[in-house]
Amino acid sequence: MSEQFYYFLQQILNGVTIGSTYALIAIGYTMVYGIIGMINFAHGEVYMIGSYAAFFVLAGLAMLGFDSLALMLIAAFTLSIVITSAYGWSIERVAYRPLRGGNRLIPLISAIGMSIFLQNFVRLAQGSRDIAMPSLISGGWVIGPVDGFNVTLSYMQVIIFVVTFISMSVLTAFISKSKMGRACRACAEDLGMANLLGINTNKVISITFVIGAALAAVAGVLLSMYYGVINPYLGFMAGLKAFTAAVLGGIGSIPGAVLGGLLLGITEAITAGYFSSEYKDVVAFGLLCFVLLFMPTGILGKPEVEKV
Amino acid sequence: MNKWTKTAAGVAASLALLGSATLAHAADTIKIAMAGPVTGPVAQYGDMQFTGGNAAIEMINKAGGINGKQLEAVIYDDACDPKQAVAVANKIVNDGAQYVLGHLCSSATQPASDIYEDEGILLITAASTSPEITSRGYELVFRTIGLDSDQGPTAANYIINTVKPKKVAVIHDKQQYGEGIASSVKAGLEAANIPVVAFEGITAGDKDFSAIIAKLKKLDVDFVYYGGYHPELGLLLRQSKEKGLNATYMGPEGVGNKDISAIAGEASEGLLVTLPKKYDLDPANKAVVDHIVAKGEDATGPFVWTGYAAIQAMAQGMKAGKTDPFELAEYLRANTAQTVMGDLQWDSKGDLKGFEFGVFTWHKDGTSTQNQ
Repeated sequence: MSEQFYYFLQQILNGVTIGSTYALIAIGYTMVYGIIGMINFAHGEVYMIGSYAAFFVLAGLAMLGFDSLALMLIAAFTLSIVITSAYGWSIERVAYRPLRGGNRLIPLISAIGMSIFLQNFVRLAQGSRDIAMPSLISGGWVIGPVDGFNVTLSYMQVIIFVVTFISMSVLTAFISKSKMGRACRACAEDLGMANLLGINTNKVISITFVIGAALAAVAGVLLSMYYGVINPYLGFMAGLKAFTAAVLGGIGSIPGAVLGGLLLGITEAITAGYFSSEYKDVVAFGLLCFVLLFMPTGILGKPEVEKV
Repeated sequence: MNKWTKTAAGVAASLALLGSATLAHAADTIKIAMAGPVTGPVAQYGDMQFTGGNAAIEMINKAGGINGKQLEAVIYDDACDPKQAVAVANKIVNDGAQYVLGHLCSSATQPASDIYEDEGILLITAASTSPEITSRGYELVFRTIGLDSDQGPTAANYIINTVKPKKVAVIHDKQQYGEGIASSVKAGLEAANIPVVAFEGITAGDKDFSAIIAKLKKLDVDFVYYGGYHPELGLLLRQSKEKGLNATYMGPEGVGNKDISAIAGEASEGLLVTLPKKYDLDPANKAVVDHIVAKGEDATGPFVWTGYAAIQAMAQGMKAGKTDPFELAEYLRANTAQTVMGDLQWDSKGDLKGFEFGVFTWHKDGTSTQNQ
């Protein structure tokens, strides 16, 4: 097989890795929007808190002398999900619930305020310098010729694909099969009517924030281990890209968020690989404009039906 | 004596001491303001400058001071913030100091220097490398460090004469500092017929550089110059190692920070960095190093020495009787100052004539050794 093919394969793998993580974060935006029609701009910061939680768990276990990889991973995922979900739940309780039912702009401003608050809270508590994460899983496969261009695929990349895939499957099953999932779908369809029919909408909304935060925590653990560095500002850029992915795929639609994330990641990798990395954001956002021109609700978004 | 009277007595005693100290100093000391970050994310660079400045003042005082008068250092914290720097500058004006060592960050030095120039206060900065600071025709602004634009030629010469790579890529972070140096390195390499096969910008704050690394690997690049700061270069180094790109990296003084080894780990071994020379290794400066180490401070930072030299230059002018800031500025432009950095001369703008950066090899434990 030719060098061109290996190069293309490498860029696709790079794109799918970035895209998977965009997708995990994008779910949080899309679920909240689907149910209460609000964009939770603090979601990027929730992801950042997930990264910090993972760092504390891993550093703490390492200090206590644990060296079992499986134990450390399980502890990092579990504790990070618990802590980050608690943040997600509290954010909704403190910053959004008291404002529900008012003008849509008010919770939006509250979300931006929450985002600034969380970023500065972590900055003041942990310092603004980059923190290096211990790298637990290193190494990977090399595909292709030994001399000349070969494709590298690290174990961590494979873990990212697999974990993303499992999280998505579990979430889809939860939404389509469970009683709570049915309540979520009912709320997404018509919050007022669901309330009248005896669904505890406050609980459903809280659960939505908790699920979004839990997925952001998964992304936080995976990415902080993959890149090895965390700082209080990493939520902003990640949040912006994930939000773009959610809009591209059709905000409110869970498969749309996954599709949007992957599409955005692959577009960025291909642009950087074949043209110039200076244009990767230009092309990615250009694609967003182009898609929205022809499909204003995104690729898989349903046209909004006027609720009577 | 109960607790309250004890405290009151203590306070009264210390107030009395302070009062007498100020009175005693007001008569026969020359006040030098030292402004820089005592707090904030770059406070470690501020410490270097204060260590050097204080050491210089103590040693000059021990040797008899300036024609019988002692120097006195007063430290001001600007946290490297332009707004706070302006507040500090106004405070220095009110406190009546006529000479300032500082500020540290270019973005803080620039607005503060407007105030000093208006109020007739002499400023020597030991760390601000932005060309803008001395390009406004100010009479009272000097520096004891090179400019951003000096690092490009130093790096290019080293690459051409010592590294001699086959294929070079130049990457930058699209910001004023990084892209400026990167362009200058590229121009230097092309003038010597070394092919630059890729010249690209990345986005500061990005975490994933796998796409550009795959591209460099395909182009079979064996040397990469990066213009920018340490967070992005740290990730580039780390990801290059993971993706099997075997290239030597080089960067400007903005990457030469212990954090890069924390981020990149083993991948930071062998990185080349242009930094001000290590004056602490010069045998002529042994007495100064001993003095600083005896106080329990660190003598290795670059700004320790540029700060020390700035005070020495001021003191030399004052000893020659030029205590008025304007006369002192004229003296510095016309004469050669003997300092720990060697003989220093300034041009009409207040920049050093012939300041040279050294090239260092970085190690994975955060230390570095000088190559040239």
